[in-house]
Amino acid sequence: MKLKRGQLLVDPPSSASSDIAFILIIFFLVCASVQPEDGHDQKLPRAEPKEEEQKQTKNLEVSITPNSIVLNGSPLNESNFPDRIRKELDERKREEDRVVILKSSPQTPYTRWIAVSQIIDQAGGLLTLEVTEEKSIQVR
Amino acid sequence: MIIQRRKLTATVPTFAMGDIGFLLLIFFVILARVQNDSHIQWTPAQSKDIAPAAAARASVAIDSGRKVYLDGRETSADALAGALETVLGDAPEGSRRIHLKVDRDTPAETFEPVIEAISEAGGELTHILEIKEQDR
Repeated sequence: MKLKRGQLLVDPPSSASSDIAFILIIFFLVCASVQPEDGHDQKLPRAEPKEEEQKQTKNLEVSITPNSIVLNGSPLNESNFPDRIRKELDERKREEDRVVILKSSPQTPYTRWIAVSQIIDQAGGLLTLEVTEEKSIQVR
Repeated sequence: MIIQRRKLTATVPTFAMGDIGFLLLIFFVILARVQNDSHIQWTPAQSKDIAPAAAARASVAIDSGRKVYLDGRETSADALAGALETVLGDAPEGSRRIHLKVDRDTPAETFEPVIEAISEAGGELTHILEIKEQDR
C-alpha cells in the first residue's frame, strides 16, 4: 500500500503584511524627519539698551554693505579683512574688549552677513549687533 | 426530528489589540515630535565652517518671501521674542538652543530683528547652513 506524503504548507502568511507595511512607513518617516542638519553656533550677548553699552571701553566696529567692509571707519578689501580683524583682536586680552559691533546696511544679504560674522568668530571676537530701531511718530 | 440550529460565535478578536495600541502610540509620538517646517521655501547660505547642529527647542525660519516662522507657524519679528520666551521657559543654559534657517538672499532689515529677538529671549543660536559646493 502506498502512503501519501502530507503536503507542506508553502503559502506565505499574508495576514501580517499590512502590519509590516505600516512599520516600514513609520521607519522611513522617522529616517526622513531626523536627518541631521549642519550649522554654525553663534554666541550672542543678551539684547540690552544702548545706554549700558556705551559705558564699556571702545569696541571694534565693523560696518558692512552688500559690497564694502569698513573696520573702525577705514574701508578694507575683502581679502584684507580677516587678517586686520585678527590683528586688532590679538591686541585685546580682556574678554569685554573683544566685543565687535557689527552694523549692517538694511540691504546686506544674509550670505554676506554670515560670512563676515564667521570671520569675526574665528578671529576670537564676540559679536554684537547694532540694530537701528524704527519708530513712527504721528505729527498732527 | 428537531434539527438544532448551529450557534454563531460573535466574539471580538482581541489578541491583536496590544499590537494595534503599540503602533498607534508610536505613530502619535512621532507626529508630536516632528516639527514640520518642510513647507517653508528657503535656500540655506553656504559656508566652509559648519558642524552638525545639536538638537533644538525651537526652529525659527525666514523664507524666500521674507516671512518669519516659528516651528512652522507664521509669526512676526515683533511677536517672536515673547513666543520664544514661552517656548524656552526656565530651561537651563545648554538646552536653550534655537535653530535659525534664513534664506540666503534675505536682507539684514528682515533677519537682524529676528536674531535680536532670539538674543532677547535668551536663546542659544545656531545658524543652519549648507557646506560650500567646492568643499564637498
